[in-house]
Amino acid sequence: MVALTGPSGAGKTTLLQLIGSLDRPTSGRIFVDQVSVGELTRPANFRRNAVGFVFQLHYLLPALTARQNVELPMAAAHMHRRERAERAIELLADVGLADRAEDLPSDLSGGERQRVAIARALANRPRLVLADEPTGALDSVASHNVWELLSQLRDRFGTTIIAASHDTTLAEHADRSLRMLDGRMLATAPPPELPIAQRSE
Amino acid sequence: MIALAQALTSIRHRPGRAFLTALGTALGIGTIVALLAVSAGATQTAGQFVHLGRSDLGLFQKDAADPTTSVLPESLITRLRRQPWVADAMGLQLLVNKVHGEPGAIVFGAKPDSFELNRMVFTSGHALTSPNQIVIGDELAPQLHVGVGDTLEVGQRHMRVAGIYHLGVTEQDSGAFVPLSTAQAISGHPGEVTSIVVKLGPGTRPSTAQRLIKQRFPGVLVIADADEALRAGANGQLIQNVTNVIVVLALLIGAIGVMNTMLMSVVERRSEFALRSAVGWSGTQIASLVLTEGLVVSILGAAIGIVIGSIGAILLVHALGAAAFVSPDVTGWVLGRALLIGILIGVLGGIYPAWRAAHVSPARALAQQ
Repeated sequence: MVALTGPSGAGKTTLLQLIGSLDRPTSGRIFVDQVSVGELTRPANFRRNAVGFVFQLHYLLPALTARQNVELPMAAAHMHRRERAERAIELLADVGLADRAEDLPSDLSGGERQRVAIARALANRPRLVLADEPTGALDSVASHNVWELLSQLRDRFGTTIIAASHDTTLAEHADRSLRMLDGRMLATAPPPELPIAQRSE
Repeated sequence: MIALAQALTSIRHRPGRAFLTALGTALGIGTIVALLAVSAGATQTAGQFVHLGRSDLGLFQKDAADPTTSVLPESLITRLRRQPWVADAMGLQLLVNKVHGEPGAIVFGAKPDSFELNRMVFTSGHALTSPNQIVIGDELAPQLHVGVGDTLEVGQRHMRVAGIYHLGVTEQDSGAFVPLSTAQAISGHPGEVTSIVVKLGPGTRPSTAQRLIKQRFPGVLVIADADEALRAGANGQLIQNVTNVIVVLALLIGAIGVMNTMLMSVVERRSEFALRSAVGWSGTQIASLVLTEGLVVSILGAAIGIVIGSIGAILLVHALGAAAFVSPDVTGWVLGRALLIGILIGVLGGIYPAWRAAHVSPARALAQQ
């Protein structure tokens, strides 16, 4: 897990959007697994198969249940309906919401919605999850739970997570920390309290 | 299938808006269905007039506003009977709006010995035997509450009901027959008939007879089938032209309505489309979703329109006073056209909003939130 920190306007969100091919760089190139994401002719395919997004505002579709929201990326991949539903239930169980699968987002708390969003980000088993201020709208307990959950999922699925946040507790869970200011990377360092050798790969 | 399921979910989430858009489409399609059904009913009626008494051809005056206003000399019947290829011919004088209490019923004036009247099966009473008698169809009699021996006012004449008949043809069973001379006196056209129906001799083709009559009797319109009959009358042509204009208008108005609603929906749901794009939905998949939503709403509108149109057609023929001789005919072809127009409205109205939705920039739309 990589922590991306820096003040507002530093460029954290822009960097995540460029890495995730939501936007194209005006200059320079960005490689994810040796793929230049700014030059993709079908960036939707890349987003569908290689990346998962978690946003500050969970962006769950209000008309869809938690399960249906998790199924969205799988629907884009033309996965069979039954398989989609089964995997969505599994993912909701992974984030501790198996019993809330048929609830609408309006029936869930802020922390629960964000957990659904995390399950959705993992739907197509991406190699990379980009989390932009995932705890920005949560209280400290819910924030702690979200970081714990992301750490567990990283360990379980081996997914690389790049998380941008103002939340200082992010550093406790991250393997590396990158600090940005005015669109530039200032420093890259492991978190201070543990030696890097003890951290997950 | 995914687009359809998601479109249905989205429509269920905003049922009020979807229903109002569908209703806008429904009114246009309802009008079309009503006009097409009346037009189809009129064609059927015209066909039954042309083939009255199992005849092969119907003769009318050329350029009459509609077949009921045609005027032909009665002497033409005798001249036609002299043709070797004609088996028989009979004159008909049509009286419209003349029956007291049921103005929509048509009264046919015909000679009592003509082939059409010989086909009548009487359920009570007997055939015409004197000028002041009338025989009534078994569908009209209960509507007028009259029976054999009662008196009926036709064009301010009091006629005695001689019999109740059944012919098996709606227009005639919903009408009545009087002697030709009486009908001519009521209409003020002595020595004239509205139409002449012709039975051809064995082996004579209607198209051949049609050509021969046109050559030998100028000023006469010869009709062999129902569509021709409807086209022949200026009113029938008018209905068809009005229907065509309304089809185009309904398409335009319906498509603009669907487009307007779908565009509003796309603007409101920019973050939804941005999210779908972020999680891997391609532009084509997003466009299909919007297009499917437009289609579902339009088809729903078409379904409501068919119901409105079917009821509207009945109200229309009553308003026109034509209920007795025109039964709106909601055929499969009428329904098919209504559905096709609904689909066209959905596609035309959905294309631009679908394109807009497919081109929402996920980075920009999500940042604006």
